[in-house]
Amino acid sequence: MALTIKEQLSSPGGILKFLVKYNTIFIFILLVIFSALISDVFFTSVNLSNLLKQVSGIGIISIGMLIVILTGGIDLSVGSMVALLAVTFAILVNIFALPLAILMTIIIGFGLGSISGYLVAYQKMAPFVATLALMTIARGLSFIYSKGSPVTFTTVGGKFMSDFANNSTLRIPNIAIVFFIIVICAMVMLRYNVFGRLVIAIGSNEEASRLSGIKVNKYKFLVYAISGALAATAAIIVASRTNLGSPNMGMAWELDAIAAVVIGGASLNGGKGTAINTLMGVLILGLIGNILNLLNVPSYPQQVVKGAIIIFAVLLQRFDSK
Amino acid sequence: MKNSASEYRLEMTGISKSFGVVSVLKNVNLKVKSGEIHALLGENGAGKSTLIKILSGVHQKDAGRVVLNGEEITPKNTHEGQVLGINVVYQELSLVNDLSVAENIYLHKLGANKTWMNWKGVMNDAQELLDSLDFKIDASAKVKNLSIVQKQVVEIAKAISEDTKVLVLDEPTTVFDPKDVKKLFQILFKLRDQGVSIIYISHHLDEIFKIADTVTVLRDGVDTGSMPIAETDKDGVIHLMIGRELNELYPKRDIKIGEVPIFEVKDLTAKETLVHDVSFDVKPGEVLGIAGLGGSGRTETAKLIFGADKKKSGTLLLEGKEIKTNSPVDAAGYKIGFVSEDRKEEGVFLPLSIRRNISITSFDSISSKLGFINVDNEYKKVLNLIKKLNIKAPNSEVDVKNLSGGNQQKVALAKWLSIDSKVIFIDEPTRGVDVGAKIEIYNLINEVAKKGVGVVVISSDMPEIMGISDRILVMHKGTFYGELQKEQFSEENILRYSIGEPLKTI
Repeated sequence: MALTIKEQLSSPGGILKFLVKYNTIFIFILLVIFSALISDVFFTSVNLSNLLKQVSGIGIISIGMLIVILTGGIDLSVGSMVALLAVTFAILVNIFALPLAILMTIIIGFGLGSISGYLVAYQKMAPFVATLALMTIARGLSFIYSKGSPVTFTTVGGKFMSDFANNSTLRIPNIAIVFFIIVICAMVMLRYNVFGRLVIAIGSNEEASRLSGIKVNKYKFLVYAISGALAATAAIIVASRTNLGSPNMGMAWELDAIAAVVIGGASLNGGKGTAINTLMGVLILGLIGNILNLLNVPSYPQQVVKGAIIIFAVLLQRFDSK
Repeated sequence: MKNSASEYRLEMTGISKSFGVVSVLKNVNLKVKSGEIHALLGENGAGKSTLIKILSGVHQKDAGRVVLNGEEITPKNTHEGQVLGINVVYQELSLVNDLSVAENIYLHKLGANKTWMNWKGVMNDAQELLDSLDFKIDASAKVKNLSIVQKQVVEIAKAISEDTKVLVLDEPTTVFDPKDVKKLFQILFKLRDQGVSIIYISHHLDEIFKIADTVTVLRDGVDTGSMPIAETDKDGVIHLMIGRELNELYPKRDIKIGEVPIFEVKDLTAKETLVHDVSFDVKPGEVLGIAGLGGSGRTETAKLIFGADKKKSGTLLLEGKEIKTNSPVDAAGYKIGFVSEDRKEEGVFLPLSIRRNISITSFDSISSKLGFINVDNEYKKVLNLIKKLNIKAPNSEVDVKNLSGGNQQKVALAKWLSIDSKVIFIDEPTRGVDVGAKIEIYNLINEVAKKGVGVVVISSDMPEIMGISDRILVMHKGTFYGELQKEQFSEENILRYSIGEPLKTI
């Protein structure tokens, strides 16, 4: 059986090994302590709830990204999908009843993801290329359907969603709750469900998976479709927060999602990564932005720091594999 | 002192090395003369590879001396080793797939001290070198289009393209058929006569006794003996390797073979490979051997039946009923198993734990309708198999990449045993596996057969296939050329059928 935490800590060099192994959580805690020391606004409920609201959208697509990356693929289309689906949702919620609008948006997201999935799994297109094409198409469509300007919610359903997205339950923002539920679902699916096992197996050795009688293509198809459905969920949340769907939403979110997954220790070659670590990756990225905002650092230096943190996190993981 | 010039070209003395707390080599000595083929033997994990890696500069020794031509050397990386004239052909091929053969051979020299490439010169040199090795390989061909045998030859050509003083070959013949092995030996003899010191690592004792002049044996990081080959025999060497007498390499079989075939193949022809008009049957409890030269279509036949390659025509009957296997998914569904010859690429999931490897085929029995895995059942099942197959690991959560070759092979087998397969195809069951683990795998094959499974074993190892099969089919150019019953088993008969010759009539 696996060593207990206590045993790990008492072995020679154990503390160091422990820190390296759980480096994402370690970095996260360090950042929290650092933030709390440096700014007295940080630990206010307003700030924390803002932070959670900010990361929820990217967080949800990061989970989709993780599942795709676990198979050894990548999904560049998610940022543009958020824009297209946010516009779609805004149009739909103004026409149909809310539950129907939500359901339709998620189905459309699943369908759009299926296109990438089909191209990758059955047409053997490189994931980078297939999803790059989808990314351009989705962004273009979002401008076409919105005629270039944001679509505002006008109905009772829209009002309800906007209230939901901006309120909290037990002091936790509702949209963060949605995000956490998705993280927990992903955790359970990856750990205790055949789906997760097979996705990880395919990412670690596709040929061996095929020769073990696994329906490799089906799962490769599914992960992109799921990523699309999660992009739809993120789109609904993001649109509801601002009461509108805009074609400018989700700009470069796919890159943040990839960064979060990588900071969370996943391998871009597939087969390695967990939902909880991706959550940490998302929170770390969010925290960096948050603390730099509190310190009034302008947005361009922020990007530099973000990049440096990604390099640092990935370098730290190299110790783990040695 | 002048007369201190040793009779040895290479002397490694008192070499010790440990990784963390694990001591891999303890005070090991290896002395090789010039113009000598020196066999280095030992079970997997005995420390052979580590010793070689210290010699070539991959690893740094903790203690000891390495002396080459009377001078102490301490190569810090493989480049320094190469400059000193030490070249290693590793078991894992290290060629660049997208470059040509010639570029691969001269990869380390490309661009050295030159601004412009002389492609014509490089091509010509490479072709000359390959021709001198007597294997027909086009120097301008892309490496990815070569067969695995040809790749190995290119790897050897690369090693000897330099001014090599010490050439190390780590299991070079695992992919070779007997004809190619002979050619390789000719090359080695030639190099030896030119004064090259050759260190030859192999699990094939037959080979060792054919070519080596001297043998050194390692066991658990200690050298247990070094002697001229003429002063020992197989049993003596095996004794040094495993520290115990070996009674039977091939366990006795006392199994009742069923009358009615469990699996039949009729007129099977492939769409994309050379396999054509293959017909055979296997009975429950039978171990059917498939022999033949490399490239004769043995692996392709198994993959065709398993649904990994596309079929053109032919029928398969499982327990008398016709089945269609258009993909491995179908085959696995009918409980047909296939253990690939390429363990690392196609057999196991190296970065995943033993548990995750074994249960990959058997989720049906350990998960609910919605796919949720009953982890308790999974553990029970996996631990049971680990125990039964004697997989040597501290627990089921160890990553397969940390296991020895033999234990990895057992994991690959366990995958198909866990679903109670009806027919299992095992391609090269013991390639790169040490003697101890070999015996265990043979026992395992017998045990599986005993349960009424039809076992089909493909092997290039002649003593092996004769030792474990009840019947042998020999492939030649994509189809079965002949069938040998137990009393007809001999290397000569297999070879005759392999090259398309009839048997000698007495």
